[in-house]
Amino acid sequence: MRQTKVFLNESEIPRQWYNIMADMPTPMSPPLHPGTGKPLAAEDMAAIFPMNLIEQEMSPDRWIDIPEEVLEKYMLWRPSPLYRAYNLEKILDAPVKIYYKHEGVSPAGSHKPNTAVAQAYYNKEFGIKKISTETGAGQWGSALSMACNMFGLECRVFMVRVSYDQKPYRRLMMQTWGGTCFPSPSEETETGRKVLAEHPDSPGSLGIAISEAIEDAVGNGDARYSLGSVLNHVLLHQTIIGLEAQKQLEKVGDYPDVVIGCAGGGSNFAGLALPFARDKIHGKDISIIAAEPSSCPTLTMAPFGYDFGDLAMSTPLLAMYSLGHDFVPAPIHAGGLRYHGMAPIISHLVKENIIEPRAYHQLETFEAGVQWARSEAFIPAPETNHAIASVIQEANRAKEEGKEKVILFNWSGHGLVDLASYDAYLTGKLFDYPLPLEEIERAKKVLGQYPKP
Amino acid sequence: MKRFDHLVLRCPRLGGEITFAYCRKEQGDLPCPRIIRCWQDLIPVEQHLGAFLSKDEWDRCFNAPPKDKITTIFEIVDEVKKRKKI
Repeated sequence: MRQTKVFLNESEIPRQWYNIMADMPTPMSPPLHPGTGKPLAAEDMAAIFPMNLIEQEMSPDRWIDIPEEVLEKYMLWRPSPLYRAYNLEKILDAPVKIYYKHEGVSPAGSHKPNTAVAQAYYNKEFGIKKISTETGAGQWGSALSMACNMFGLECRVFMVRVSYDQKPYRRLMMQTWGGTCFPSPSEETETGRKVLAEHPDSPGSLGIAISEAIEDAVGNGDARYSLGSVLNHVLLHQTIIGLEAQKQLEKVGDYPDVVIGCAGGGSNFAGLALPFARDKIHGKDISIIAAEPSSCPTLTMAPFGYDFGDLAMSTPLLAMYSLGHDFVPAPIHAGGLRYHGMAPIISHLVKENIIEPRAYHQLETFEAGVQWARSEAFIPAPETNHAIASVIQEANRAKEEGKEKVILFNWSGHGLVDLASYDAYLTGKLFDYPLPLEEIERAKKVLGQYPKP
Repeated sequence: MKRFDHLVLRCPRLGGEITFAYCRKEQGDLPCPRIIRCWQDLIPVEQHLGAFLSKDEWDRCFNAPPKDKITTIFEIVDEVKKRKKI
């Protein structure tokens, strides 16, 4: 009988996280303080993070021990199973083996608890009583609420109002785990009160929610702020995914030719990919693909370099993928190209050609997600669908080339709390196709009649 | 102004579906800085916004300094410290 799942015993769980900073082929440029232009120091970060996490953020050590208390909580769902997607393989009829790491088995339904639990633990150890954070649709807020509950911490989540109103289920998960979820803008902070005074019906934004969460924590001695992506220590905690996968693949005698993950802020992608990136740095022939939404092409379109911020140089400087301050775009093209929300570690590895970014349109990703659900049954989170679209693309490529390939990807979360997104897709509400040229020309003519400012 | 407001797109930042109307006012009176990138393949968003935004608004929205999350965080920390006199 064929083997669909590969398990690790609890005793086989990795007991250390992997820190790729020790293996970077070239040194990473550190984030710089806007005022001094010097690298951000530990004391700069101390207002919002506990010192034990700051030490991890700046650590050059290759391996960092996972505390027993964190391992005990991980054991609720870890080691997560490695699956073989036989049914999708059959449909694709390509010479590929497709393995996926099932991170949807966590209580919160995604990879997010891997760092939420660790962050809650380190805050608790540092004497912190309360953690504040922001959340969009609630994936991070719910994971942190769960983790804070595990360690007896108060959790305060500022959730963007538009999501708070439209997506009640993760808010209810937060509340069930004892977290307090505020619609942002809220009356809890000066920032929120100011916005509400000017715009009582404000639907909020991530920017406002971040401001509220930070204001809630800064200056309160027993409170800190927490972030679920981008930072080095967040990516570090997620590496347990890839470390487990390496052990599991070894059990079945396979090693991937291609490793794929979806990349928003970079944490779930990094979690699977970084241990394999280490292998690649040390000579393994392996493709590592970061699948990102085409609507925010942080990796695929922008050059790498320091962002100097504004002309007054008042913002911290970070080396990452960006069009940078010296980019003077034609005004009409300035907008989204300037977005860069990717983790600096991932940006650096793209620059080093260790990671290859690829972008996928949202309808393509939902199509892949539905194909997955109708073959492998589990309903993926919409973000996970980007990785699945990439897997299908790689399989089809292998078929065209007549090459056998082993593909491994991170099934980063289930979509059971995101069914409204599937509803939008299945009922044709999602807008993802170019308007016909004549329609665009018509619109231009109509708009041309309006007075210019 | 409201011609495209009903259209729905998945927001890569929020992780949920939002309307063009939200993108158009994501920063209060200003659009989301990524509105052009997200919508330009779908609708004539640049012409649409250009018809309603003043040059100053356009510059503040689209020609403002690029910001990543870590930059944003430490800017806010400094602001809050000043405000709270820490």
